[in-house]
Amino acid sequence: MAFSLTINGQRHTVDVDSDTPLLWVIRDEVGLKGTKFGCGAGLCGACTVHVNGQPARSCSTPVASVDGASVTTIEGLSEDGQLHPLQQAWIDQGVPQCGYCQSGQIMTAAHLLNNNPSPSRQDIVTAMTGNLCRCGTYSRIVAAVEAVAGSVGHYQPAGEDA
Amino acid sequence: MTMNRRDFLKVSTGASGSLILAVSIPGCASVQTGYQPETGEWKPDIWLELTRDDEIIFTLARVEMGQGTYTGLTTLVAEELDVEPGKIKVKFAPVAPEYRNPLFGLQLTGGSTSLASSWEPLRVAGAQARQMLIMAAARVWEVDADQCTTQDGRVVHPNGVDSLRYGQLVELADREVIRGKVPLKPRSEWKYIGRKGGKLDARAKATGTAVYGMDVELPGMVYAVMTRSPRYGGKASRFNRDEVLGMPGVTDAFITERGVALVAQRYWQARKAQQKLQVEWDFSEALDTDTEAVFEGYRKAASENSGVKERSEGNVDKAADRAKQVVEAEYEQPYLAHATMEPMNATAWYRDGGMDVWAPTQAPDLGRIAAARHTDLSPGKINIHTTFLGGGFGRRLTQDYIEEAAAVAYQLKVPVKLIWSREEDTRHGFLRPAMLHRMKGSLNDGELTGWHHQIVGPQVLDWYVRNAAPAQYPWAPKFLYDTLGRVGLMAEGIATPKDISAIEGAIEYPYQVPNVSVRHTHTDPGVPITWWRSVGYSHNGFAVETFMDELAHESGEDPLQFRLKMLDGEPRHREVLERAARLADWGQPAPEGRARGLALFKSFGTYVAQVVEAGIENGEIRVYKVICSVDCGQVVNPRIVEDQIEGGILFGLTAALYGEINFDNGEIRQSNFHDYRLMQMHQTPEVVVDIVDSEADPTGVGEPGVPPVIPALGNALFALTGKRQRRLPLTA
Repeated sequence: MAFSLTINGQRHTVDVDSDTPLLWVIRDEVGLKGTKFGCGAGLCGACTVHVNGQPARSCSTPVASVDGASVTTIEGLSEDGQLHPLQQAWIDQGVPQCGYCQSGQIMTAAHLLNNNPSPSRQDIVTAMTGNLCRCGTYSRIVAAVEAVAGSVGHYQPAGEDA
Repeated sequence: MTMNRRDFLKVSTGASGSLILAVSIPGCASVQTGYQPETGEWKPDIWLELTRDDEIIFTLARVEMGQGTYTGLTTLVAEELDVEPGKIKVKFAPVAPEYRNPLFGLQLTGGSTSLASSWEPLRVAGAQARQMLIMAAARVWEVDADQCTTQDGRVVHPNGVDSLRYGQLVELADREVIRGKVPLKPRSEWKYIGRKGGKLDARAKATGTAVYGMDVELPGMVYAVMTRSPRYGGKASRFNRDEVLGMPGVTDAFITERGVALVAQRYWQARKAQQKLQVEWDFSEALDTDTEAVFEGYRKAASENSGVKERSEGNVDKAADRAKQVVEAEYEQPYLAHATMEPMNATAWYRDGGMDVWAPTQAPDLGRIAAARHTDLSPGKINIHTTFLGGGFGRRLTQDYIEEAAAVAYQLKVPVKLIWSREEDTRHGFLRPAMLHRMKGSLNDGELTGWHHQIVGPQVLDWYVRNAAPAQYPWAPKFLYDTLGRVGLMAEGIATPKDISAIEGAIEYPYQVPNVSVRHTHTDPGVPITWWRSVGYSHNGFAVETFMDELAHESGEDPLQFRLKMLDGEPRHREVLERAARLADWGQPAPEGRARGLALFKSFGTYVAQVVEAGIENGEIRVYKVICSVDCGQVVNPRIVEDQIEGGILFGLTAALYGEINFDNGEIRQSNFHDYRLMQMHQTPEVVVDIVDSEADPTGVGEPGVPPVIPALGNALFALTGKRQRRLPLTA
C-alpha cells in the first residue's frame, strides 16, 4: 500500500505493508539510518522520532497510523547542516560512548526543551528515563541537557513542522 | 580477560608446529607501506597514512564499541606526530596479521588491553614518522635535523620562521632511513596525553551519521531473519517451506546449521513470514536444563570433587582446626546476557568467488574463520569490514551472527543483511556463566588465619577455542579447524598458559593471610557461554569481597580497618581504598535510612575501591551514591577513564539489581527489556570517580569498574538490614 509522509520537511511516498513500523520506513525506504532499532517493542527509546511534534517510538508505530504525518528524525533536527544546540552540547560534554542510543536520547531531549526551555533536573530525569543506555551515559546526558537549558536565552527551539 | 588466557594459542605453535612449518605463510606483510606516487600517499608504517594534501589517516586496529579506542589510540599517535588528534582521520583496520593484538595473537578487542598494548607501539609509530619528516625537511633546508622542531603538522626551520607542511614532505620523507631508536616525547612536553580531550567520534554519534553494522546499505540488498532452536543445540529438520515462500516479499527459505533462514525484500516482510513459520525441531542433542538443575549440579560437583588446586599457601585445614571460629558461606550468581543496544547483525555479499562481510565485531579475524566454516570459501577469500559497534561487552567476541549471515549470503546472488530481534538477542546469546562459590574463613580473635575459596563452574575458553585456534593459522586447511581447537585445549597448561576465566580475581586474593587455598571445580552444564564485561572478576569479585565483609562482621571489626590491616605489602590497593573511604566519609553515619558498603578489587591491572550508599524505598533497592577511587597508571584521557569507570559501575549495578537469565527445560525465560531490565536514568546514583595520579604504565579501564560495585552494594544492604544476601540479583 502507498503511504505519504513528510520526513524532515520532504515529502515521501512509500509502498509498504500497512503494519510496517515507521522505523523501517525511515531506515530502509527513505534511507535515513540515524534512527536506531533497539528492541522492537517501545521499551528502549533508540528509535525515538517526532511525529507531528510529539515523541514517538517508531519501532512500534505502524506506518498506516501516521499516514500524512510530519516526521522529524535526528537528521532533520536542525537545518542546513547546522548542529542543534543539544547536538553541540552532546559533543562538548562527550556524551556518547557506543553511541547507538544517542539519536533517540537527543530526540527525547529536544522534545522536552521544545516544551519546557528551562527544565529542572527532575523534569529532565522524568522526560529522559524511558530512554535506555547500556553504556551508562546518563549523568553526561543530564549535564548536556542542563548546559543547553542553562543557555536558554540563546536556545531557539528547532522548527518542528516547518 | 587477562593476557595469559588468550596468549596460549600463540605459544601453542609448538604443539602443532610441524603442521605450520609445512605450509608457506601468505598473509604476512599484507599491509603495504611506503610512498605511492600515483596517489601521493605515504604510509610510513602500518598505522599511518599521510597525503600530499595534508590528510593524516590512522588505522585503528582495536574496534570502537564505546570504550574510547577511537579517541584514546588516536591521541597516542597524534601526540608523537605533533598534530591535534581531531585533525586525524580514523579508519577501521581490515583483517591482517599486522593488526593482531600482541597479547592474544588474535585481532581482537577485549580484556581491557587496547590502551595498554598500544601505549608503546603507537607512540613509536608516530615518533618515527615525525622523525622522518624532520629529516626530510632538514635535507631540503641543508640544516641539522636536530635543530628542527614540529608544530601542528609542520616542520619548523631552526630560524623559527620558515616551515614546511607534512604534506609537502611525504615523498621525501619516504626516502629517509632511521638508524637507532627515536626517543619518545618526555612527559613534560605532552600536549594531548593526560588532557580531557574531546571524543573524536562524538559528532558522528550525535548527528546519527556514525555507521554501525545495522546501518550498512548495499545495492539490491535483501533481508534475512533466522529462526533458531528454542533450546540450544536443537536442529531444524523440516518446516512449512511452501507456505512461507508464498508470503509477500519472501524470496528464499532454507535450513542452515543455525536454524531456518527466511529471506525477503524487506526486513518487516521477513519478520511477518517468520510468524507463520512452523518448524519441526530435532531436540535429540538439545539443552534440557533448568536453572535450578544447574545449581544442583554445581553443588553436587562441589561436594564430590574439591577441584584443581589453583593457589595454595600454608594449610587451610589446619588453620580451621585451630581457629576459634570458622565461617562458611555459599554464593550463587546467575547467567547474564550482554544486552548490547545494537542487536546482533551482519551483512554479507558473495560475489566473484569471494565474500565481503560488514559486521560490528570485536574479532574480525575470528569472524573470517566463522564465515569460512559456513561456506566453501577459504579465509583468504573473505573480507571483513568492521563498523562501529553499538556495544560489545564481550558478546561480539563470539561470531555466531557472522556465521549466519555468511551461510545465508552463500546461497544468494545479492547482498543480505541478517538482523536479530531483541528477543532473539536475549534468548540465543552466549552468556556470562552461572557460578557457585564455597568459602571458608578461619578467625582467631579478629585475625584472619585461613582463606579457602572453591569456585564451581565452566571455563569460557572451552567455548571460544573453536574459532580462535584456526584464526591464528588462517592458512591451515579447513578440515583441520576442529583439530586446531582441540590441540589448543589439550596443550592448555602444558605447552601453553591456562584458561583462568573461572578463577581470575580469586587467585590474586591480595590480603595477607597465612593460609590460603583457591580451588576450581570444573563443571560445564552445556549452556553456551562467552566473555562478559569483566568475565571471571565479575563473579569472583562478589564472592571475595562479600566474604571479606562477612568475616569483618564476624570478628566485630569495621570492614575498612579489617581490610587495611591485611594490606601492608600492597600500597596501590591501600591507596585507592583509603581515598575512597575518605571521600565517602567512611566512619561517619550515613543519612537516615541509608547505609554504606565498600569493596576493593583489582582487575586487568587496575586498582579500584568503591563505597556504595544505598537504601530501600517503596520496596525497591535504591542506590544513592557510588564513590570510586581508581589507579589505572598513566591516564591518556581522563574524560574517557571517568566514563568507562562510571559506565562499568552502572553495568555492575544493573547486574546486581536485575541481572538474571533463567532456563526452563533448556529455553531462556527472558526476552526483552521488560524482563531483562537495564538501569534507567531515574535509578542512577550520583557517581564520583577519583583518579590516582600515576606515572606507571597505563592499564585498562573498560572492565575494572564492574566487579567491586556488586559486593559493595550487597555489603551496604547488609549494613542496612542485617540480612546477608548470598545470591544475585539482590532483593529489597
